[in-house]
Amino acid sequence: MSQRSERRGIHVDQSELLCKKGCGYYGNAAWQGLCSKCWREEYQRARQKQIQEDWELAEKLQREEDAAYASSHGSQPQPSLTPFSKFEEKKTNEKTRKVTTVKKFFSPSSRSTTKKEKERNEERERERERERGEKVQGRRESHGEMLLRDLKGIFTHSWEIGSPTEESHEAKSHSPSFVRQSSVETDQVAREFVDFLKSLKPGREIHKQSRAFVESMGNKKDLGADELSECVQDFYQHMSDRLLTHFKGSSEKVERVMDQVEKYIMTRLYKSVFCPETTDDEKKDLTTQHRIRALHWVTIQMLCVPVDEEIPEAADSVVKAITDVIEMDSKRVPRDKLACITSCSKHIFNAIKVTKKEPASADDFLPTLIYIVLKANPPRLQSNIQYITRFCNPSRLMSGEDGYYFTNLCCAVAFIEKLDAHSLNLSVEDFERHMCGGGDGGGSGDVSPRRRSESSSPWPLELLSALQERQQQVLEEARDLQDELQLWQEGVAREVQNILDKYPLEIKRHAAHTIDSENEENDRLPPPLQPQVFAG
Amino acid sequence: MAAAGATTAHRTYSFKVVLLGEGCVGKTSLVLRYCENKFNDKHITTLQASFLTKKLNITGKRVNLAIWDTAGQERFHALGPIYYRDSNGAILVYDITDEDSFQKVKNWVKELRKMLGNEICLCIVGNKIDLEKERHVSVEEAEAYAESVGAKHYHTSAKLNKGIEEMFLDLCKRMMETAQVEERSKGNGTSHASTGRRGVQIIDDEPQAATAAGGCCSSG
Repeated sequence: MSQRSERRGIHVDQSELLCKKGCGYYGNAAWQGLCSKCWREEYQRARQKQIQEDWELAEKLQREEDAAYASSHGSQPQPSLTPFSKFEEKKTNEKTRKVTTVKKFFSPSSRSTTKKEKERNEERERERERERGEKVQGRRESHGEMLLRDLKGIFTHSWEIGSPTEESHEAKSHSPSFVRQSSVETDQVAREFVDFLKSLKPGREIHKQSRAFVESMGNKKDLGADELSECVQDFYQHMSDRLLTHFKGSSEKVERVMDQVEKYIMTRLYKSVFCPETTDDEKKDLTTQHRIRALHWVTIQMLCVPVDEEIPEAADSVVKAITDVIEMDSKRVPRDKLACITSCSKHIFNAIKVTKKEPASADDFLPTLIYIVLKANPPRLQSNIQYITRFCNPSRLMSGEDGYYFTNLCCAVAFIEKLDAHSLNLSVEDFERHMCGGGDGGGSGDVSPRRRSESSSPWPLELLSALQERQQQVLEEARDLQDELQLWQEGVAREVQNILDKYPLEIKRHAAHTIDSENEENDRLPPPLQPQVFAG
Repeated sequence: MAAAGATTAHRTYSFKVVLLGEGCVGKTSLVLRYCENKFNDKHITTLQASFLTKKLNITGKRVNLAIWDTAGQERFHALGPIYYRDSNGAILVYDITDEDSFQKVKNWVKELRKMLGNEICLCIVGNKIDLEKERHVSVEEAEAYAESVGAKHYHTSAKLNKGIEEMFLDLCKRMMETAQVEERSKGNGTSHASTGRRGVQIIDDEPQAATAAGGCCSSG
């Protein structure tokens, strides 16, 4: 049956189907005639080369630009406030950014769509994995209940747990996909903005003013952050006054329009005004991040957090709150960032409600928020807070619900910065001991329980030992699983070998057969046609 | 200040009021009674009692009240300025059975006057008058003190729903007056709303006594 159909099919030379590199596998036209393996190698090499070239080009451009800058601004000194190291850091960031944009221009257009898409997906996938890894880490720190559930996560991401996460944050914030997405995002926001304004009478005017404002801001890049903030706030004020007086809008309507205006201008300005080089926001970010990391030993009991993480729903809410506060960094519009904080707060309230069975007061809320911030260690926290303070619509920030939660977040950060032994009801010696031992994240796991028992603080030792037992169990089970897998693999290999041993000859015989040998009718056919040469 | 900024045309006032006071004086019960008219109730619908709003209509003028609860524990005392900046009114609650909580109120008043001057309307509230028998803060002392610092004094009971409505209404009227005075003095009074927003720093001006850390809420 199979033979007959084979004969009827279109005949293509065997050699044409094979990989062009001659590795013996079949090739594919979509991969330029290579097999999957060779194609991947080839593609990687080309990409590496491309990146290398782009780097060189970008560096050359950067050098030229620097030279031009130096010649034109030679007399103007650098702002003395910014320390040199930070300036360096900024510059490298700037460089990477440039590389990606340059790359965008130089990549061949035929590839750009599909491959870029693929790259972006990969990038996203990687980010998601990274986040998952972090989350696993967070949960593991917070309580071992999740440990078993996250068995899979631990196995695939165990290498990440030990490694510091800061680099990944840095990488994430300046990843090429981020920059590349931005243009798409701004376009979309601009389109939405226009759509929104179509329904309004003064829409054209609003659009004109907003666009003019964004353009004018482009020329003000050298201004300090406070001046920029002043400009934006003045614009908000001016715009809402105008809408109220000239166009006689109701205050709710004006608020809606202002939300859209904020979304439009801040999406476009985000890159130039978020964590600007003129401020030391970045330095503060790092300080806060280190501070939070050094405080990893702070427990729910020390902060008197009224949340019982033994209750699954409460634990769930805690995880969601952590996710939300981390997500804040990924938003561009101040209002969206605020929405993340609000959502985080709602989850916190839920966790408290589940535990205490009564509505949460600020006495409950603030400690819990502090705990969440400590657990989450949100990326670029100070930058985000500064950005929201500077560029959010003030009416929202000062009296609204969002404003309240934002204020609480500011309080939490201020508390964490100033936290001392007294604020955790610890003795000064205990606090110092915790802070000194807090340097390494990896080793503290088995050291701190002993230390805590010494200092006779109310740390549940039983819980710890139970956790340790469980972890042991998990490890054992993992080992069993590994053994089992090994056995299974061997078993399969053996079976395959058995079958191969059983039917080796037949396979050979099939291969040796020529198509014609079976065909008895061959003799009766006329001899094959020969090409004949005709003279003239 | 910020209140007048919202809408001058429609005469809708937006006021921010902070609730200050020690841990167990009943701040939460007070606002829950005011906004939901419930006390220690299983049927309270709100998820939280830390940020509540109330819409009022006072002599034909609309008022939006945003009530900000603050964490009362001693260790969060230094965070006060972040909470009360730009607020139009402050409600300082103490427990009439607890002398310490009244001392805390005095500290708050001193701080508020120092940081915000006379722009803020202060209410000093002695809560839990249903426990009159166990009173430890004398009425005369409290009222004399309130008058000396330009604040008004009220007696309330969240449990019996006494004095709360009056207190809030009174506060609103006073805040409206303050806003109107300010409006007149500044002409239109709108453009300066944003200037006071920035630059508030936390200042540990007085080293706090470490003794009061426990309070009655330390177990919570």
